[in-house]
Amino acid sequence: MEAAKTSTPVENKEETSLKGTMVSVLFVLGVIVVMWVGVFWLYMSRV
Amino acid sequence: MHRLEEIWLGLSAGILILFMVIVGYQTFALGMGPPSNKENIDPEQVDQTAPFDNPGVKKVGENEYEVVMTLQAFGFTPSDIEVPAGAEVTFTMTSKDVVHGFQVAGTNINAMVMPGHIQEITHTFDEPGEYLVLCNEYCGAGHQLMSTTITVK
Repeated sequence: MEAAKTSTPVENKEETSLKGTMVSVLFVLGVIVVMWVGVFWLYMSRV
Repeated sequence: MHRLEEIWLGLSAGILILFMVIVGYQTFALGMGPPSNKENIDPEQVDQTAPFDNPGVKKVGENEYEVVMTLQAFGFTPSDIEVPAGAEVTFTMTSKDVVHGFQVAGTNINAMVMPGHIQEITHTFDEPGEYLVLCNEYCGAGHQLMSTTITVK
Protein backbone atom coordinates (compact mmCIF):
# COMPACT_ATOMS: atom_id res chain seq x y z
CA MET A 1 0.00 0.00 0.00
CA GLU A 2 1.42 3.25 -0.89
CA ALA A 3 0.89 5.97 1.55
CA ALA A 4 -0.87 8.28 -0.74
CA LYS A 5 -1.69 11.81 -0.04
CA THR A 6 -5.35 12.01 -0.73
CA SER A 7 -5.27 15.72 -0.81
CA THR A 8 -2.65 18.25 -1.56
CA PRO A 9 -1.93 20.24 1.52
CA VAL A 10 -3.42 23.64 0.94
CA GLU A 11 -0.94 26.35 1.67
CA ASN A 12 -2.51 29.47 2.91
CA LYS A 13 -0.04 31.93 1.55
CA GLU A 14 -2.41 34.83 2.03
CA GLU A 15 -2.72 35.96 5.66
CA THR A 16 -6.03 37.51 6.62
CA SER A 17 -5.64 41.25 6.60
CA LEU A 18 -6.18 43.01 9.89
CA LYS A 19 -6.31 46.45 8.30
CA GLY A 20 -10.11 46.65 8.30
CA THR A 21 -10.20 45.49 11.91
CA MET A 22 -7.67 48.13 12.88
CA VAL A 23 -9.67 50.90 11.25
CA SER A 24 -12.84 49.74 13.00
CA VAL A 25 -11.36 49.51 16.46
CA LEU A 26 -9.55 52.81 16.04
CA PHE A 27 -12.92 54.32 15.26
CA VAL A 28 -14.34 52.87 18.46
CA LEU A 29 -11.34 54.23 20.37
CA GLY A 30 -12.01 57.61 18.83
CA VAL A 31 -15.61 57.57 20.01
CA ILE A 32 -14.47 56.64 23.52
CA VAL A 33 -11.86 59.41 23.55
CA VAL A 34 -14.37 62.01 22.31
CA MET A 35 -16.89 60.98 24.98
CA TRP A 36 -14.26 61.08 27.73
CA VAL A 37 -12.96 64.47 26.67
CA GLY A 38 -16.51 65.78 26.38
CA VAL A 39 -17.45 64.82 29.91
CA PHE A 40 -14.07 65.99 31.22
CA TRP A 41 -14.56 69.39 29.63
CA LEU A 42 -18.08 69.60 31.05
CA TYR A 43 -16.73 68.87 34.52
CA MET A 44 -13.85 71.35 34.21
CA SER A 45 -16.20 74.06 32.89
CA ARG A 46 -18.03 73.89 36.23
CA VAL A 47 -14.71 74.25 38.08
CA MET B 1 2.23 39.10 17.43
CA HIS B 2 0.92 40.95 14.44
CA ARG B 3 2.28 44.47 14.07
CA LEU B 4 -1.19 46.03 14.08
CA GLU B 5 -2.10 44.12 17.23
CA GLU B 6 0.98 45.52 18.95
CA ILE B 7 0.08 49.03 17.88
CA TRP B 8 -3.52 48.61 19.03
CA LEU B 9 -2.63 47.18 22.43
CA GLY B 10 -0.06 49.87 23.05
CA LEU B 11 -2.31 52.70 21.96
CA SER B 12 -5.41 51.63 23.89
CA ALA B 13 -3.48 50.75 27.05
CA GLY B 14 -1.61 54.04 26.83
CA ILE B 15 -4.80 56.05 26.45
CA LEU B 16 -6.47 54.26 29.36
CA ILE B 17 -3.44 54.84 31.57
CA LEU B 18 -3.43 58.51 30.55
CA PHE B 19 -7.10 58.85 31.55
CA MET B 20 -6.44 57.23 34.92
CA VAL B 21 -3.38 59.39 35.57
CA ILE B 22 -5.32 62.58 34.84
CA VAL B 23 -8.28 61.67 37.00
CA GLY B 24 -6.04 60.17 39.68
CA TYR B 25 -3.91 63.30 39.90
CA GLN B 26 -7.00 65.47 40.16
CA THR B 27 -8.51 63.28 42.85
CA PHE B 28 -5.52 62.67 45.11
CA ALA B 29 -3.11 65.52 44.49
CA LEU B 30 -5.67 68.25 43.85
CA GLY B 31 -8.41 66.91 46.12
CA MET B 32 -11.07 67.18 43.43
CA GLY B 33 -12.60 63.79 44.14
CA PRO B 34 -16.18 63.25 45.27
CA PRO B 35 -16.84 64.26 48.88
CA SER B 36 -16.55 61.53 51.46
CA ASN B 37 -15.85 63.10 54.80
CA LYS B 38 -15.32 60.51 57.48
CA GLU B 39 -16.51 62.29 60.58
CA ASN B 40 -19.44 60.79 62.45
CA ILE B 41 -22.15 62.41 64.51
CA ASP B 42 -25.11 61.21 66.51
CA PRO B 43 -28.10 62.08 64.32
CA GLU B 44 -30.36 62.50 67.30
CA GLN B 45 -28.01 65.00 68.94
CA VAL B 46 -27.33 67.17 65.90
CA ASP B 47 -28.89 70.28 67.36
CA GLN B 48 -26.71 69.94 70.46
CA THR B 49 -23.46 69.06 68.72
CA ALA B 50 -21.06 71.74 67.53
CA PRO B 51 -20.90 73.18 64.93
CA PHE B 52 -24.48 72.25 64.06
CA ASP B 53 -25.90 73.85 67.16
CA ASN B 54 -25.23 77.11 65.32
CA PRO B 55 -25.91 76.60 61.60
CA GLY B 56 -25.31 79.47 59.21
CA VAL B 57 -22.86 81.22 56.95
CA LYS B 58 -19.60 82.13 58.65
CA LYS B 59 -16.71 84.09 57.24
CA VAL B 60 -13.45 82.27 57.92
CA GLY B 61 -11.05 84.27 55.79
CA GLU B 62 -10.58 86.75 53.00
CA ASN B 63 -13.45 85.71 50.73
CA GLU B 64 -13.62 82.33 52.45
CA TYR B 65 -16.82 81.15 53.99
CA GLU B 66 -18.05 78.15 55.81
CA VAL B 67 -21.69 77.21 55.57
CA VAL B 68 -22.70 74.93 58.41
CA MET B 69 -25.94 73.34 57.35
CA THR B 70 -28.42 70.80 58.60
CA LEU B 71 -30.78 69.04 56.27
CA GLN B 72 -34.14 67.88 57.36
CA ALA B 73 -37.31 66.88 55.55
CA PHE B 74 -37.90 69.04 53.71
CA GLY B 75 -35.54 71.98 53.97
CA PHE B 76 -32.03 73.26 54.35
CA THR B 77 -30.98 75.23 57.40
CA PRO B 78 -29.78 77.89 56.58
CA SER B 79 -31.62 78.53 53.35
CA ASP B 80 -31.24 81.36 50.83
CA ILE B 81 -27.53 81.80 51.20
CA GLU B 82 -25.69 84.86 49.94
CA VAL B 83 -21.98 85.08 49.24
CA PRO B 84 -19.85 87.54 47.25
CA ALA B 85 -18.44 86.55 43.87
CA GLY B 86 -15.14 84.75 44.07
CA ALA B 87 -15.92 83.34 47.50
CA GLU B 88 -14.52 79.94 48.38
CA VAL B 89 -17.29 78.25 50.33
CA THR B 90 -16.98 75.05 52.34
CA PHE B 91 -20.29 73.38 53.07
CA THR B 92 -20.28 71.31 56.25
CA MET B 93 -23.52 69.38 56.42
CA THR B 94 -25.36 66.61 58.16
CA SER B 95 -28.86 65.28 58.11
CA LYS B 96 -31.20 65.17 61.05
CA ASP B 97 -33.41 62.44 59.65
CA VAL B 98 -32.94 60.57 56.37
CA VAL B 99 -30.49 60.55 53.50
CA HIS B 100 -30.65 63.76 51.50
CA GLY B 101 -28.76 65.04 48.52
CA PHE B 102 -27.18 68.42 48.07
CA GLN B 103 -26.69 69.52 44.51
CA VAL B 104 -26.05 73.05 43.28
CA ALA B 105 -27.17 73.21 39.65
CA GLY B 106 -24.50 74.36 37.23
CA THR B 107 -21.64 73.48 39.55
CA ASN B 108 -19.82 70.32 40.52
CA ILE B 109 -21.34 70.41 43.99
CA ASN B 110 -23.14 67.12 44.36
CA ALA B 111 -23.03 65.40 47.71
CA MET B 112 -25.03 62.84 49.60
CA VAL B 113 -25.80 63.96 53.14
CA MET B 114 -26.45 61.03 55.44
CA PRO B 115 -27.60 60.89 59.06
CA GLY B 116 -24.70 59.96 61.30
CA HIS B 117 -22.15 61.44 58.92
CA ILE B 118 -20.75 64.88 58.32
CA GLN B 119 -20.30 65.77 54.68
CA GLU B 120 -17.89 68.42 53.48
CA ILE B 121 -17.62 69.92 50.03
CA THR B 122 -15.85 73.08 48.86
CA HIS B 123 -16.46 75.26 45.83
CA THR B 124 -15.33 78.66 44.60
CA PHE B 125 -18.21 80.71 43.26
CA ASP B 126 -16.61 82.82 40.53
CA GLU B 127 -19.73 83.64 38.55
CA PRO B 128 -22.35 85.89 40.11
CA GLY B 129 -25.95 84.79 39.82
CA GLU B 130 -28.61 82.68 41.46
CA TYR B 131 -27.86 79.03 41.90
CA LEU B 132 -30.60 76.51 42.55
CA VAL B 133 -29.89 74.04 45.32
CA LEU B 134 -31.77 70.78 45.12
CA CYS B 135 -32.12 67.67 47.17
CA ASN B 136 -31.42 64.89 44.68
CA GLU B 137 -31.88 61.90 46.98
CA TYR B 138 -35.45 60.80 47.56
CA CYS B 139 -36.31 61.64 51.13
CA GLY B 140 -40.07 61.41 51.44
CA ALA B 141 -43.35 62.99 50.45
CA GLY B 142 -41.95 66.53 50.22
CA HIS B 143 -38.74 65.61 48.42
CA GLN B 144 -39.66 67.46 45.23
CA LEU B 145 -40.13 70.67 47.21
CA MET B 146 -36.78 70.51 48.96
CA SER B 147 -34.74 73.29 47.45
CA THR B 148 -33.16 76.63 48.18
CA THR B 149 -30.99 79.19 46.42
CA ILE B 150 -27.47 80.49 46.69
CA THR B 151 -27.11 84.06 45.49
CA VAL B 152 -23.64 85.12 44.43
CA LYS B 153 -23.24 88.87 44.17
